Amino acid sequence: MTYIPEIPASHQMPSCDVRRMVIACATVIEEMVPFLPADVPYEILDFGLHLRPNDLRESLQRKIEETRQHADVLLLGYGLCSMAVVGLKATDVTLVIPRTDDCIGIFMGSCAAYRAQIKQEPGTYYLTKGWIEVGDSPFEEHHRLVKRYGEAKAERMTGLVLRNYKRLGFINTGQYEIKRYREYAQKAARQFGLQFEEIQGSSRLIRKMIFGPWDEEFLIVPPGHTVRFEDFVSSVPRPGAVVLSEYQS
Amino acid sequence: MSEKLVTAIANMEEKDALALAKQLIAEKADPMIILDDCRSAMEIVGQRFESGTYFLPELMLAGEMLTEITEMVKPEMSNGQKIQRHGRVLIGTVKGDIHDIGKNIVTFMLDASGFEVKDLGVDVPADKFVEAIREFQPQVVALSGFLTLAFDSMKETVGAIQAAGLRDGIKIMVGGGPVSEEVRNYTGADGYGKDAMAGVSLAKQWVGVK
Repeated sequence: MTYIPEIPASHQMPSCDVRRMVIACATVIEEMVPFLPADVPYEILDFGLHLRPNDLRESLQRKIEETRQHADVLLLGYGLCSMAVVGLKATDVTLVIPRTDDCIGIFMGSCAAYRAQIKQEPGTYYLTKGWIEVGDSPFEEHHRLVKRYGEAKAERMTGLVLRNYKRLGFINTGQYEIKRYREYAQKAARQFGLQFEEIQGSSRLIRKMIFGPWDEEFLIVPPGHTVRFEDFVSSVPRPGAVVLSEYQS
Repeated sequence: MSEKLVTAIANMEEKDALALAKQLIAEKADPMIILDDCRSAMEIVGQRFESGTYFLPELMLAGEMLTEITEMVKPEMSNGQKIQRHGRVLIGTVKGDIHDIGKNIVTFMLDASGFEVKDLGVDVPADKFVEAIREFQPQVVALSGFLTLAFDSMKETVGAIQAAGLRDGIKIMVGGGPVSEEVRNYTGADGYGKDAMAGVSLAKQWVGVK
């Protein structure tokens, strides 16, 4: 049976008393900041953690512990992220997490949009402004390889890393200076023989995370509960959407 | 054991590694010992990856060298005395996922451990697995995936194998970065491997060899 936690009555409080806070990955916060109300503080975690899900889980848990005095609702700017969020404990706060595989779904505005792209071309390497800025991609790594092994071997290695990729999907999230990042992505696609495609991003899921309603697109974990894998994969929607205003009434 | 071969692979010297393997084959070295050297080299590469000296590109090149050397060694294995095979394993990365380094390392390890392995590649639809099970008659099917998106494909593949009436005769394992017991349970597989060694142990256990 699917377990979907309800928001406890004890947490329904006047709107001005609901203290929201964000903990997000460095790439996701980029897209959230333009929409964040001034009274919603945020904390950023290192992007590199996504490669080490156990470390990411530990860092997130530590942050949850640290912030519990300062917030009632913690919005996590993460998806399932290689199972890194599974096992997180909401101690004194309610956790709200988008039910998407990873940040690509967040940038595209829904998990469904991401899955549609995967269906169209599974061999897609995605880039956004944030990803380009943190510089953790095979295209940036190539420079390191050239320095360490020389041009020929670097070509061979990056070629292997990208062997099964056909497309470079540049997600345009409408951030400023998009032209510069688009040019970077186009150049990378040309250099490594990938088909360049600009994919329209959307702030829909980000706005919904900040302002509600937290319907079946979100996992809501009340204080004392733990994030479970089943809550992510269940296709059963929550009984009734929780709108922030309801939550606050 | 060829120290030189181990060092060449571990130090990313692809040309040297292939030349050394070729030389060893010409000198009629035991194919299983050559594969064992590859395994030792991969261990070193794995350690360097864990410690942050190596990254994904090094892992990819090492995996590629292993595949290349296995291909060179295989004809020797069938030409010489009959090698006792433990059983057949069908392996592939499930639909929607194109990651293959983990799968390739597992394939190599299974090969080197005496299994006959058929690799279907990446982004493999469920019906392709079903078709290949009918033809290849494996005892073990290994479904690989790195993205969490792959979990649904794994589940679908297990379902398709069941629907085709082929589930009873085979054991299915799932593997890949984020796979866990919860994922195994979700997909309906019989087991999962946390890493390549665990996958090989599971396959051995299932076919009844130590």
